[in-house]
This record gives sequence, structure tokens and C-alpha cells, in this order.
Amino acid sequence: MGRAIVITSGKGGVGKTTATANLGTALAQLGHSVVLVDADIGLRNLDVVMGLENRIVFHLVDAVQGRCTLQKALIRDRRIENLHLLPASQTDDKDTVSPEQMKALIMELKSTHDYVLIDCPAGIEQGFRNAIAGADEAIIVATPEVSSIRDADRVVGLLAAQSTPTRLLVNRISQHMVRRGDMLSQADVIEILALELVGAIPMDDEIVATTNKGTPAALNGKSPAAKAFNATARRVAGTDTDVVRETGIGFFGRLGRALGLSPA
Amino acid sequence: MWNEIKSFFVSTRRSSRDEAKGRLHLVLAHDRAGIDGARLQELRAEVAAVIRKYVEIDPESVEILIERVTRDDSQLTVKGPLPSRSAVPAP
Repeated sequence: MGRAIVITSGKGGVGKTTATANLGTALAQLGHSVVLVDADIGLRNLDVVMGLENRIVFHLVDAVQGRCTLQKALIRDRRIENLHLLPASQTDDKDTVSPEQMKALIMELKSTHDYVLIDCPAGIEQGFRNAIAGADEAIIVATPEVSSIRDADRVVGLLAAQSTPTRLLVNRISQHMVRRGDMLSQADVIEILALELVGAIPMDDEIVATTNKGTPAALNGKSPAAKAFNATARRVAGTDTDVVRETGIGFFGRLGRALGLSPA
Repeated sequence: MWNEIKSFFVSTRRSSRDEAKGRLHLVLAHDRAGIDGARLQELRAEVAAVIRKYVEIDPESVEILIERVTRDDSQLTVKGPLPSRSAVPAP
């Protein structure tokens, strides 16, 4: 039986879909069988981020309503072994599917895959309720900004109410801005949200470029964000229990810290 | 002049990072307490009235602060200056 992990944030535009695509790709590269579920019914995007938009025939709502088998709605990614996508419907409403139906769907996917990653829509309404219904764990994506952290805190509370274990992924950290005193550090975000950190992704132009092409950065990628996503996947899989290193600090930054010259 | 020279070498301004931290601690404490501005004003007025039964105090000076200590632990503080000794009329 696999693990179902919902990627959520409360606030939109912080990188949930990008994180889902890259984390899924990285987990598949480690040899696990992975299915990505786009739970953003009506506003699907995981398909374009993965570059699989031209191969959609059936979608999540078709499978839930029995117009096709679940197997038929899955799109196999030809670039990596064992990576599948279950796209969302673009024409239905969020309340077309109920939390109970989502639960059953995720359960079925867990029986055939090691990891079911659920890309949650923004907000805390019905779409969010559906996305978290079948999840065993949650990863909260937050950028080091006041609005993102505030919304993340709301979501943490809602997940705690249904006892879903939750970890934190800090996205788009710029080390030179942190050093300049103009950005919250990953340590600040951890302290404020009081969550265990599962990964820290640096700000990286490569994410925009790879998203343009529909190729996840983590796919054989060597960019800083790609490396950070692959490290996060190892932590999710439990093969790497190292503490998360501050991203993009570089040798001199770490030396400075070791000597007590730069702030943590 | 001296201040300009000093601020060039020693950063005296509060960084935007610190400001973000401070604002977040406050905002999250209020969010988690689940009490809106109007209710907070009501609470303030009532608390001020209770205090006035015992000490002479300006009800407008009473402040209610909700601050976050840790994630699961917020603290409500009532603040209000007591009148100085000379201002209190003899009994």
C-alpha cells in the first residue's frame, strides 16, 4: 500500500504545482512508482507543467463518475519509468466530486503505486477539502513572505484538526536577500510555523525555463532547484535523513557561518 | 552628520526581515485566537469597566494585546497605566 501526500499551501502562486511535478519526478527517478493527481478541478495545470497536456483523453471526473476505468484516465510519462498523471477536468466545478469519492479514488491509486502526490487547489474551500480527504500526510509549500506564511498557518490548523501529519517545504529562498536582511530565512519560517522541514528550494531561473518547456527541472537536472527537489524526494522516501542544508549559501557562506561571522 | 556616518558603518534600521517576523507573530496570534476587531473592542470596554470598579483608570488607556508565545500558545495581556500617586484624590 502506497503513501498519499497532499501538496498544499492555502495561498495561490507559491509553487504547489511546480513542487508536485518536481517531487513526483524526483521520486520516480529514485525508482518508486508515482502517480500525480491534479485535484484542481476547473483550473488544471499540472498537465502543462509536466508537458503532458496533449495526451489527455479522460480525466479525474470521468474516472469518478464511471465514464472510464481509473487505469484509462492515467497518462504514462514516457520520459521516466513508473510516473503517471491523473489530470483534472477543465470544465467541471469543484463540487462535482465529493470528499468521499476522492478518498475512494486515492485508496485505489495507493493499491497500485508507492506514492500518490495530490496537487491541491489554492483556498480552503471544497477543492481543498477534496484534496486532503484521502491524504495520509501533507506537505505545506510556503514562500518566505508574510501573506504565504499567514495562509500556511491557517492550513496547518485545518490539517491538525483532522490529525494529518504535516511537513514544510520552503520555496523560493534567495540567500543574498536573507543576508541583506530583506527576506525571512528558512529558520525563521520553521520557527513561525513550528513544522518539521522536508525541503528548501532556492529561487532559480531554471524553474521558469523548464516550466516553459514542460520538462520538470528535477528530470536529470543539475540546477540548484533541481538538486534541492531531488534531495527533498530522498527525505520524503526516508533514504536521506540529513538535516536540510540552507540552499545556495556556497562555500564561503558556510565557512562564515562556521566561524560565526554570518547569521544563521 | 555624525548620525549619517554612523549609519553608514552600523546598520541601525530594523531590517524588513525583522519587521516581517514581528508582523507575522502578531497577525498569527489574532488569526488563531479567532477574535475580530469589533469583539476585541467590546472585550476592551468591558475589561476597562471592571478595572474601574477597583481603581481610577482612564478607560481609553486600557489595551488588550494578543501575542503568540509558541505555535500552540498565545497570550492575552491587559495593559493600562495606573494614575500616579499625586493624581489620586485623598480618600
